[in-house]
Amino acid sequence: MAKLFVDQDKYADGEGSPIIAAFNSALKDLVRKKLDESGGNWNDFVFGKAYSLITAEEVAKIERKVLDSGYRYTCSAMISIMERPDAYKPLPGTESGAAKFSFEHPEAQTAPADASGREQRGQGDNVVKVPANVIGIARYYRSADQVMQSLTQGVPPDTIAIIDDSGGTLTAPILEQFKGVICAGGTVRSHLGILTREYGIPCLMGAKISGIFEGDTVELEVSGQSKTTEAYQKGVEMTVRVWKHAAKK
Amino acid sequence: MTKLTYAQLLETNNIIQVLGEETYFLCVTRTVQESKLFPVSSYMLLSYLNAFYRYPTLLRKIEKHMPAEMIADRVRNMCSKIQSIGMGWCMIGFYLLGREMLINMGMIRPQDAAEDVAYVMNFWKRYQLAWHRNDGHITNKEAGHRSQILPERRIQVFHADMYACKDGDALHTAADKFLATVSQYAFLVACESRISMSNHGPYNLGDGREMLVRDFFDLAEGDLPWLDGVASEVPFNRLTVTTAVKDTHFYLVDDWGSFDSRPEYKGENMCGVGLYTSDELSETHTPVGMGSREELTETFDRYADIFKDATTKLWKRIAGYSRNQMLDAGALTYYAIIKDLAHVAGCYEVDDWMKFDERAERFRGLLNDEYGNELLGALVVPLTLPSHQCNEYTMMQHSNAPKRVHSPISYSILAGEDYVPSVGDGIRPGVTYLPPKADRYRTTQGVMTLAEFNQRCKNFTPQLCTEKFRHLDETWVKFHYKTPLADEMYKIEQQTSRKLAGKGAGLSRADVAALADKF
Repeated sequence: MAKLFVDQDKYADGEGSPIIAAFNSALKDLVRKKLDESGGNWNDFVFGKAYSLITAEEVAKIERKVLDSGYRYTCSAMISIMERPDAYKPLPGTESGAAKFSFEHPEAQTAPADASGREQRGQGDNVVKVPANVIGIARYYRSADQVMQSLTQGVPPDTIAIIDDSGGTLTAPILEQFKGVICAGGTVRSHLGILTREYGIPCLMGAKISGIFEGDTVELEVSGQSKTTEAYQKGVEMTVRVWKHAAKK
Repeated sequence: MTKLTYAQLLETNNIIQVLGEETYFLCVTRTVQESKLFPVSSYMLLSYLNAFYRYPTLLRKIEKHMPAEMIADRVRNMCSKIQSIGMGWCMIGFYLLGREMLINMGMIRPQDAAEDVAYVMNFWKRYQLAWHRNDGHITNKEAGHRSQILPERRIQVFHADMYACKDGDALHTAADKFLATVSQYAFLVACESRISMSNHGPYNLGDGREMLVRDFFDLAEGDLPWLDGVASEVPFNRLTVTTAVKDTHFYLVDDWGSFDSRPEYKGENMCGVGLYTSDELSETHTPVGMGSREELTETFDRYADIFKDATTKLWKRIAGYSRNQMLDAGALTYYAIIKDLAHVAGCYEVDDWMKFDERAERFRGLLNDEYGNELLGALVVPLTLPSHQCNEYTMMQHSNAPKRVHSPISYSILAGEDYVPSVGDGIRPGVTYLPPKADRYRTTQGVMTLAEFNQRCKNFTPQLCTEKFRHLDETWVKFHYKTPLADEMYKIEQQTSRKLAGKGAGLSRADVAALADKF
C-alpha cells in the first residue's frame, strides 16, 4: 500500500484520543488505498483525483465502522442525541421534570446543616458580588424542550436555574426571568457569565454541587467575593458556597 | 519550479508561527465554549475546512475588484465584521486550522497549497497593516494587546457627542439594558460564538476615563439566512456603542476583540455613552437617536425591546432546526466571518459565502459531538496531534512544550522538493441544509436587493477614502492641522456631530472635553 508523506514523522507520538485515532487513522488508510487506485502520483491526486475518490460515502463508512464496533459518542448538543440516540451515550436527567436527577460533582464541598437549617451542597465561582445572598427554588434547564415550556408557560417565580451549559443561547429567551443561576461549567468569563452580569442576575459559574434536586430551596452566597481573572490565570480557588435549605414541614 | 521566493516563504512562515503562538495564548486564557443547543466544536471544524478550500479563490476574486489594503482603509471608518476578531485572528486562524486538520488526516502535506498559503497570509498582512495604520502594528497582540484604530478626527466626534450618564439614571439604565439585550441577541445570531460583536480601544479621554468602542454586526436581515423574517423589525444591521468608563484601565484588548481591565469592569463605572450606525454605503459613523439625552434613552429602551422580541423569534426558529441546519448556521457564521471583504469590494455572492464546498462537505459525516470536541481541543490546546510535535529541545512560547500550533512550509521546496501550489482555481459546487436566502439586505441606505447593494458599493467611495484624503494620516495632520485641507477633512467627519460640526482640525482633547457633556 502507498506510504503517505506523514507516515515518516520523527517527532510524532500518536494520534491523540481514541476517537481521533480511530477516525484519522481510518482516513489515512482511505487515502493510501485511493492513492494506489489512482496510480500513485501524489501531485495528481491531492487536489485532483482525490476530490472524486475521497467521497462523503467513503467517509461515512469510516463512521459506520466505529459505531459497529460498539463505540458510542459523548454528546454536547441535545439535538445530536435526539436525532441519533443509537450513536450517543445516554445523558441522564435531560427529560422534562426529572425529579430524581441531581448534578453529583465529586469535588462538591458538603457540610451538615447549620443552626438555621442550611446544608452546604457545593461551591462555585461568583460572577458579581452583590449586597445579599439570593434564595430561590432549584430548577434544572438542560434541553430546548424545557426552555420552550417555560417560554410558553412562563418561568415559575423565584427560579434558581441549574444549567450545565455555559453558553448564552440555550436559555436566551428566558434568562432574564431567572432569580439566580448555578452553572455547572465554564468560568465567570463564559457567555452565560457575561450575560448574567449584564442582566444583573446573581450567578455562580463552574459550580460543583451535589444532592440538589428539582424544587429544593437553595441559597447562593453571592454576597461573597467574585472570582478575578488573575485567580483563574494563577489557578487560585476563589469560590462561594451553595446551600440547600431544610424542607419546611 | 516554485514561484515562491525565499523571502516570501520566510514571511509566510513567520505569520504562521506568530499566529499559532497567539492562538495558544487566546485559547488558554479564554474559556472553552460548549453548548447544549448548538454542536459548536463540530461546526467550527466544518468552517475551517470550508475556509481552507475556498478562501484563496474568494480572496483573489475580491482583489480583482479592490486590493486588501484599500478595503482596510475603508473599513477603518465604519463598523464592520472585518476588524479585530474577523481579520485579526479568525481569517488566517480558520484557514490554517483547516490546513492542519487535513495534514493530520493524511489528506495533504504541509507544502501542498503552498502558493495559496503564501497568498492568504500576504493578503492578511497587507489588510492588517492598513487597518492598524494609526497604531503602526499588524495585530493587537503586537501592539501590546491594544487596538487603537481610529484617527483623532473620529475619536473627537465620539468624545464630544457622548451623553454623560451615571449608575441609576435613566440613560445609564437604558444603556445597560440595551447592551445586555443586544449582546444576548448577538450570541444567538452567531450561534453561541462571540463573532457578532467586537471591541476596540482603549482611547484616553483624560481625567481617568477611557473610551471603549463596542461594535455589533449582522443584526438585521442581511447575509445570514436564519435572520430572514425574524429580524425584519431590527432597524440597523450594524451598531456602534461608544462607552466612556471611569476609574477602569482596559489593559488588554485582544485579537478576538475581547477586553480585560483593572479593576474589573463594572457597568456602574460607565459614565458616557453614544450610539451610531455605519456600513459600506455611509460616509462615516451616523448618530442614532443622539438628538437629545431623552431621545437616546428612549432609543436604547425601544431597541432593547426589538432585540428581545427578535431573540425569542430567532430562538424558536433555531430550536426547530435539525442538527445539520444548526451545523450549517454555525459553520457559515464562522467561515463567512470575512464576507464583508466582498461587500466592500461590491462582489458578494450568496453561493460564495453561504454554502459548503463539496470538498469540505464530504467530511460532515465525521463531525459528531465527541470528535468535534476532541479534535478542536487537540488542534489548539494541548496540541496532541502528530503535526504539532517538534524536536525535544523546543520550548514553545507560553508552554515550554516541544510543540507548535501550525506546520510551517518547508524551505526544501526552493531546492526542488515537489509540492502542489494550490487547491485549484475556482470554487466547487456548494450545499446547505438551510432555506434559500431571501433577497433582502438592510443597509444604512434602506432595504435593497443584493444586486443593488453590490452595485451601490461599487459606485460609492466615501469622501474620506478618496485619493484626496486617503493618505492624509495622523502624521500629516500633526504638521498640517492649520491648513484648509485639514479643516476640510475634519469637517467631513464632523458633519453629523452635535457638538463639533464645522469646528475643523484645530481642537485639542481639552477643547473637545470643554465642549462635551461633563462626565
